[in-house]
Amino acid sequence: MRMSGMVGPVFSLLASGGHGPSFLGLAIYLFFVLLIIFATMTLAKKGLSSRVFTNVFAKLYEQLYLFIENMCVGTIGPHGRKYVPMIMTFWLAIFVGSFVALFFPTSPTADLSFNLGMALIAVFYVQHEGISTHYAELRKQGKDPVTAGVVGFFRHISHFSGPKLGIALIPITLMIFVIEIISEMMKNVSLSLRLFGNINGGHQAVEAMNELGSSVYIPIGNFLLPIKLLTCVVQAMIFTLLTCVYISLVTHHEDEHAHEAAHAH
Amino acid sequence: MLGLGLGIAALGVGIGLGLIGMGAMNGMSRQPEAIGKLQVNMLIALAFVELVFLLTVFIAPGSFAGK
Repeated sequence: MRMSGMVGPVFSLLASGGHGPSFLGLAIYLFFVLLIIFATMTLAKKGLSSRVFTNVFAKLYEQLYLFIENMCVGTIGPHGRKYVPMIMTFWLAIFVGSFVALFFPTSPTADLSFNLGMALIAVFYVQHEGISTHYAELRKQGKDPVTAGVVGFFRHISHFSGPKLGIALIPITLMIFVIEIISEMMKNVSLSLRLFGNINGGHQAVEAMNELGSSVYIPIGNFLLPIKLLTCVVQAMIFTLLTCVYISLVTHHEDEHAHEAAHAH
Repeated sequence: MLGLGLGIAALGVGIGLGLIGMGAMNGMSRQPEAIGKLQVNMLIALAFVELVFLLTVFIAPGSFAGK
């Protein structure tokens, strides 16, 4: 099926002609991923009652939690501990979602639709957090909920218009606003395409190298598996790290205000 | 032609990734106590440069197919 112009490649990526899993296949792989996450979590919970963690899964999840917490607090700031559950969910979904490809033919993260779904969730969550920080600030100042919600929403939107310029520079503010909106939209694309490209590229490299060694019956491509494992960790980390950076960009003003208040007193 | 274009893109992105790695390594060796912060920022920069190549990979076939 040929389509003209720019629609072609995007459409063929979305329809996953040949390479990625079909929709049912994706659902089955997702079921696998969820099963692995829930099973390991349940096993980890069993070790929580003992004074020292002897359970392997409990230890693993403890280290993972410490890593994520360190990343959140380091990137977002002291109020970053609030976002640990969300970030850890993303990390687990991406890591286990890519990790299954080391044992099965493909993985959910090698499909663009799954990644785009996660990126959409991340970006809309960031917007929600931006609005709700303004809301909390305004509520603290004694505004009623409806006013705080509306004003908070518009204050969040006004962040897109860049620095405050004079009345004569309104066209420039408008242009900045449009560009910022577009860049906000492109965050979805960049997050999802990066993950999809890295994971799918790894699969295709393995396939190509297996093809290379097929005449001597040696699956050379499988020697790439350690690199793929590294890719799983790094991509999960980059996705969550960028989400943290986006969150810190929209919720940072809280700290500044607190500092200003501290200086004023 | 497409292969050549992708090769050029890979060349540029490879140089960029190498520069980022070089800068981070220099910084880390000069200040080992800042390794954590440097690594995080290095990974973010790597991700942004990598995205350029990925975009090339996804956009280039479409723009070549139209001609």
